[in-house]
Amino acid sequence: MKKVVILLAFISAIVAVILAVTPLSKLAYIPGICSLIFGILGLYLSKGEKSSKRTLQLVFLMTIIALGLTTYKAIFNTVEVGDTQELQDKEAESEEAAIDELNDLDIED
Amino acid sequence: MYVPNTSLLFNLSSFMKYIFLLSFLCITSFISAQNTAIGSNEQLTFSASYNMSGLLTELAEVKMETSEVKTAKSTLLRLKCTAATYSKWDNFFKIRDLYESYVSPKYLTPYLYKRDINEGGYEKFMQYKFKRKTSNAESIKRKKRRDGTTWEEKKTLKINSDTRDIISTMYHIRNLDIAKANPGDSQTFKVLFDNTEFSVNVKFLKKETLATQIGSKECYKLAISVNNSAILKGNNDNLLWLTADANKIPVYAKFKIPVGNGELKIKSATGLKH
Repeated sequence: MKKVVILLAFISAIVAVILAVTPLSKLAYIPGICSLIFGILGLYLSKGEKSSKRTLQLVFLMTIIALGLTTYKAIFNTVEVGDTQELQDKEAESEEAAIDELNDLDIED
Repeated sequence: MYVPNTSLLFNLSSFMKYIFLLSFLCITSFISAQNTAIGSNEQLTFSASYNMSGLLTELAEVKMETSEVKTAKSTLLRLKCTAATYSKWDNFFKIRDLYESYVSPKYLTPYLYKRDINEGGYEKFMQYKFKRKTSNAESIKRKKRRDGTTWEEKKTLKINSDTRDIISTMYHIRNLDIAKANPGDSQTFKVLFDNTEFSVNVKFLKKETLATQIGSKECYKLAISVNNSAILKGNNDNLLWLTADANKIPVYAKFKIPVGNGELKIKSATGLKH
């Protein structure tokens, strides 16, 4: 039971870190919170045991990094469109080409 | 550098398809008439986002613009829709899509449709020249191969007299007198997309008031489905809200994808006719 919980906490923490560095960073909250819950449960289950808690420490470290990065990105990253110059050029070219095409068509109304 | 996840890329690609399908498909026949809703200098800006359990991730900006175009014989209305991913996505999955339809300003009948898309390196061009007298459309399909060369396919497609392209359909429905429709009324109409004629079913559900970025608006809530298609199934999962005024602006769209929801929200509307 304890091993399963720690494994789940570890997997959730890794998923949270991966999501946190992608543009879908907001979704990192879901595995991040799962990882915290499993981590705390893991701590509770291994209470009184003398076994190493290094894995759980790593889980908490990764979760804090993931949640910190996600929160930072959510607060400071502005939503703006990238370079659309190419698209604008394409729009102008397309209009010119369209006028040539339309000159050959029978337009009724 | 980000490592693209294939299922995510698929979702994004499908997502953009949903956006355009959902945005541009709707009611046609709750009485159609001359153009009373679409101005010749209108600009609508939307934000497309992915929503999973309330965690909203903004993906792209979608713009719908109109302008007048003068040809040798007449003046037409150019309906232009563009989609561009936000800069944070550009290194991951860059989208630069252009959809155009050249229509008659009076009845919004399409004469020329162009679609030029670039989605994560996948480039495709489609063009339809509508020839109403002979009930056909001349189609040109151009795709870029992996080695950088392109291939082209030309076809003549048989179409119905009321077949439209996806862009002009969207604008056409805004021009309909939905006020005269009753909740539950539905209508099927024909849309040409990817050289295939689709039957699209649109149902008027009810009136609803929505809080949007352009104010609180009373809206017509419409459900959209495409017959024989896995994309927009007919169980009221794909919804579109049009303002219940003379402009009938599409202010919000919501559609189901395998995990979570896709959303399209209006950010600004300028140059409106009314």
